[in-house]
Amino acid sequence: MTHRIGADIGGTFTDLVMVDDGGAGFFVEKVLTTPTAPDAAVVKGVDALLTRNEVAAESVAHLVHGTTLFTNALIERKGAKTALVTTRGFRDAVEIAREHRFDMYDLWMERPTPIAPRHLRFEVKERILADGTVHEPLDETSVEALVPILREMGVEAVAVCLIHAYRNDHHERRVGEILRAGLPGIALSLSCEVNPEIREYDRASTTLCNVYVKGIAEAYLGRLENGLQKRELTGALYVMQSQGGVCDVATASDYPVRLIESGPAAGALAAAAYGNLIGAKDLLSFDMGGTTAKACLILDGEPLIAPEFEADRKYRFKKGSGLPVKVPVIEMIEIGAGGGSLVRLDAMGRLQVGPESAGAEPGPASYGRGGEKPTVTDADLVLGYLDPNFFLGGTMTLDREAARAAIGRTVATPLKLDVVEAAHGIHRLVNENMASAARIHAVERGADSSRLPLFAFGGAGPVHAYGVARILGAPQIVFPLGAGVMSAAGLLSAPLSFDFVRTMPAGLESMDWDAVNGALEKMEDDGRRVLARSIDPSEIRFRRSADARYRRQGHELRVAVPDGPLGPEHAGAIQRAFEEIYRSIYGQTPQDVALDVISWRVMASGPEPRLALPSGKPQQGDVAAAIKGQREVFLPEAETLAAVPVYDRYKLGTGAQFDGPAIVEERESTVVIAGPASARVDAHANLLVEF
Amino acid sequence: MALDQLKLEVLWNRLIATVNEQAAALMRTSFTSIVREAGDLSAGVFDRRGRMIAQAVTGTPGHINSMATSMGHVLRRYPVDSLAEGDVIITNDPWMTAGQLNDITIFTPVFRAGRCVAFFANCCHALDIGGRGLSADSLEVFEEGLQIPILKLYEAGRPNETLYALLKANVRATDEVMGDLHSQVVGNEVGARQLLSFMDEFGLDDIEDVADSIVARSESAMRERIAALPDGTYPFTMACDGFDEPITLAAKVIIRGDALTVDYGGTSGAIDRGINVTLNYTAAYTTYGIKCAISPDIPNNEGSFRPVTVTAPEGSILNCRHPSPVGGRHLVGHFLPSVVFGALEDILPQRVMAASADALWDTQVYGDRDDGSRFAYVWFAAGGAGAIRGRDGLSATAFPAGIAGVQSEMIEALVPIVVGERELVTDSGGPGRWRGGLGQKFTIGVRGDRPFLFSGLYDRMDHPAHGINGGAAGAVGHLATKSGKDVRAKTRVVLPPGEEVTLTLPGGGGYGPATERPVETVAADVLDGYVSAERARTFYGVALDPSGLSVDEVETARLRNAMTSTKD
Repeated sequence: MTHRIGADIGGTFTDLVMVDDGGAGFFVEKVLTTPTAPDAAVVKGVDALLTRNEVAAESVAHLVHGTTLFTNALIERKGAKTALVTTRGFRDAVEIAREHRFDMYDLWMERPTPIAPRHLRFEVKERILADGTVHEPLDETSVEALVPILREMGVEAVAVCLIHAYRNDHHERRVGEILRAGLPGIALSLSCEVNPEIREYDRASTTLCNVYVKGIAEAYLGRLENGLQKRELTGALYVMQSQGGVCDVATASDYPVRLIESGPAAGALAAAAYGNLIGAKDLLSFDMGGTTAKACLILDGEPLIAPEFEADRKYRFKKGSGLPVKVPVIEMIEIGAGGGSLVRLDAMGRLQVGPESAGAEPGPASYGRGGEKPTVTDADLVLGYLDPNFFLGGTMTLDREAARAAIGRTVATPLKLDVVEAAHGIHRLVNENMASAARIHAVERGADSSRLPLFAFGGAGPVHAYGVARILGAPQIVFPLGAGVMSAAGLLSAPLSFDFVRTMPAGLESMDWDAVNGALEKMEDDGRRVLARSIDPSEIRFRRSADARYRRQGHELRVAVPDGPLGPEHAGAIQRAFEEIYRSIYGQTPQDVALDVISWRVMASGPEPRLALPSGKPQQGDVAAAIKGQREVFLPEAETLAAVPVYDRYKLGTGAQFDGPAIVEERESTVVIAGPASARVDAHANLLVEF
Repeated sequence: MALDQLKLEVLWNRLIATVNEQAAALMRTSFTSIVREAGDLSAGVFDRRGRMIAQAVTGTPGHINSMATSMGHVLRRYPVDSLAEGDVIITNDPWMTAGQLNDITIFTPVFRAGRCVAFFANCCHALDIGGRGLSADSLEVFEEGLQIPILKLYEAGRPNETLYALLKANVRATDEVMGDLHSQVVGNEVGARQLLSFMDEFGLDDIEDVADSIVARSESAMRERIAALPDGTYPFTMACDGFDEPITLAAKVIIRGDALTVDYGGTSGAIDRGINVTLNYTAAYTTYGIKCAISPDIPNNEGSFRPVTVTAPEGSILNCRHPSPVGGRHLVGHFLPSVVFGALEDILPQRVMAASADALWDTQVYGDRDDGSRFAYVWFAAGGAGAIRGRDGLSATAFPAGIAGVQSEMIEALVPIVVGERELVTDSGGPGRWRGGLGQKFTIGVRGDRPFLFSGLYDRMDHPAHGINGGAAGAVGHLATKSGKDVRAKTRVVLPPGEEVTLTLPGGGGYGPATERPVETVAADVLDGYVSAERARTFYGVALDPSGLSVDEVETARLRNAMTSTKD
């Protein structure tokens, strides 16, 4: 019997899930996160899991790890003292950025400060042109001259990003050799390795982010590996990447920028894995926690992947306000509305929720820790959706009167509403905002959000899912058991994988196919090299794609590309595949416009692990036995408070059926069914609610 | 009543979501880079009376209320009850819409149960509209391209083939222009579909009640903001380079109770170059400046526009008459927010920004590739923005235009232009307690051995961006060539092979006295090369030791003392 462990480090808790390959065991462990040395909590949690469930360390085939440590280092600017080396004349590209304001009306708008300040941005004499030809040879003395300066300034990390290095990397690699020889022990990243894609600002930004956290990644992952080995865990340690695959420690240490969005990615993977289990290949995952709500579109069993994201957004939810990072990530939309989000009235007396949050201190008014402003949690409490005595499984008591008073003061009195109406206004606004964001996300992808089941998790997800589903017109909501450890579970469904990209802009009609084949083969060789460290080469699969666009259009779409050597005879298939995707998104294709391929991509991956869920216990006897009481909750359709049954989730077995309205409580969350619906428990202990 | 209030909020949010979806659909399908990447478009929804009730948040001040007023012109031409389901209306009249022929507006009436209940409209910058191409060289609007009066592009669902044929025959990049037109029509359809589905959901027969409430609440919020300002008349005058002689932009902001008027009496007259501004566009950039200063959080709609009136003498450069040429109207219009801020400086010193480089630098290069094929490339670059209390000006950042620049590698991958350097210009930011943003330097040449044509529509080469509250002006821009040949802005010149042009873009103005900038901040600026050691001494009164790394405290105290006492 072999086991696999998923370990996800969150802000408060480190969640661990262990499964055995037979699909019989699904063990959960929660330990407090240890912020100064996060690896300690992982090791401690693993210890507890093994001891408590009497599993031998050597039976653990591998441990998959997800962490936001590198994201935090970037946001808090706690990385290395980092310098940039670039082509003469271009040291300000990372500061000139896109020359635009992402907020039209905010005169105080700020952009994120570049990772390398101007006095740590250096230039070397060389120039390569867009077609890869050398315009000015590399003057090596200009590189050598930097060595003593970098040393003297105490620089710990260097990003090298030369103009057009995605096309011709010779100069960049030579600069790397000279710096590495002159500055042994320094962290170094080359743009041609981290992100060989056109656009110097984006590429430099990605390379800088990578090298900035590289030292932290190496030290941390080394410590974790050590700690596990001391416990005689000899199975492989894998690390979750942002695109939904895992990689080994060596790869993670070289490319930590690829791990930055891995936390939310694991939750989306769990949604996809659960969806596959219950036969829902298309769904919308909805994860709502304390400060934000996230949605991810899953089509045909896979989350959508975006080619880039932004790190360290100055304004968390504002596109364009962060540092561009060009690595593949699971695409999510995020809005600033979680349980702790603050409620206020704007200049027109309209309700507004978030993105400011009450945080853990002082927290919502109902926490009784001095918070005076109402939050979403306070509204949910007033509506009866939360039980003041069973918050977080009863570990915390909420003050309903404090919540009523705060909502009264801030919302109900100025708007001349009663407190329950005001609370429902808040609850509904959050649902509206989430539904609108999800609908735009779906429209942009050519999907119809009214046909997709909702997969709800996170602390507040199950409280709001009913309202969101009603607005979207979703046919079904899936509430997995253990909504609080979804990310850890998702880690266990991620295959080993790594992505490669090569920018070679050219028209499809005049493609240099030899060059394309060379690039694809090189990327596949690299993939084989990276993955063969962990798995048998015969198990490696490659998935090719191309980023193509109509000539002069701005947005590239990703199309699948056939295996094997390519030639002019494949152009038609690529064109047709592109048109099909284009039509599915935009309805129709323009006539007679040529197609350009900007970049070619290869994803190398290992076999997909199956996330086996244990079968739930069958329902014993009458469902009524699971009812632990009644409570008054607000029913929006009836516009009134009414007593509804409260079910104990742990007493509902497979096959249990009941009708809404109803409340179902579990330790980390509460499922709210605020109106008519039919609910049943499936074979894997998921609660399915249908309208 | 109580629930109505909350219901209104839900409906209001839905309307805003609807126009955002409309804009998203439009941006993603556009063939024109400045539409999709820079968001040079606007999208909005109107009630059947033609009142704009929600507008998408996009990047173009020039469309802020020009779109709202355009609807009135459409309804005068086609009264609402004369319209049929499937009609789509088009115009690019600069005097009725966004001030230049390239901006095409599409209006789509939405029907429910056979009755027009709303309109969706959007305005997009077309890549080409015939004529001379986008330039300031024309003597009359007739040279600037095809004028499309208010016409039906679709009549009851059937495309107007005559108009399509005429359009196709008159524009250069036919595929892109017709493709964008298609995107504009589709964008409105996406909006209409969403509107109808939510009217179904809420059982609404029309949106008149919702519109009344939105307009009333926005108007009263706006009036409250204005009423909080002291009554009075606040004048300000600013000059920009213009063509043959400088242009004076004179404004008076008049506040009376809860109404605000901006009167541009005293402004220079229209000229026979294409930088004249129609009143619509003048009002758009003026309203934008006011909104930034007093009401950034109040949404754009009929109600929020009502309390603000913008006037300019007919025939002036800010209210030109047909057929004055208007192709480069942004070269003047972009200065207006800085003029508005200047006028408000006395009463709102905490909320207004020093002047910015303002007008974008618009560069056009035409030439031949090695294989003999022709290429043309046009792009915009931004100088420094002004400082504001609490924050330095943003370097190389567009204001007031919301346009994004283009990266050097993309330029070089598309056309045989070689970018020699691109860096921030030391000392170009206006000195101040908060420093103005730096301009950027941009060197360009063309590969190969053929001559090329260069044309730059640049301003602030003679008239710098002023500082406010005691801050100093930013540096002016200039233009130089490798050979030393004199090249002037706003003219077309043919340059020989191997020639390189260096653009130095202006910086933004500073805020507050430079001697009040913290010494360590000035020292950090010197370390990073934003400010030279020499300027640190002469403008900021900060002396650095010869290594440039540490501050000479004694000398600094002496310098600052002398500077502040001479001022008194």
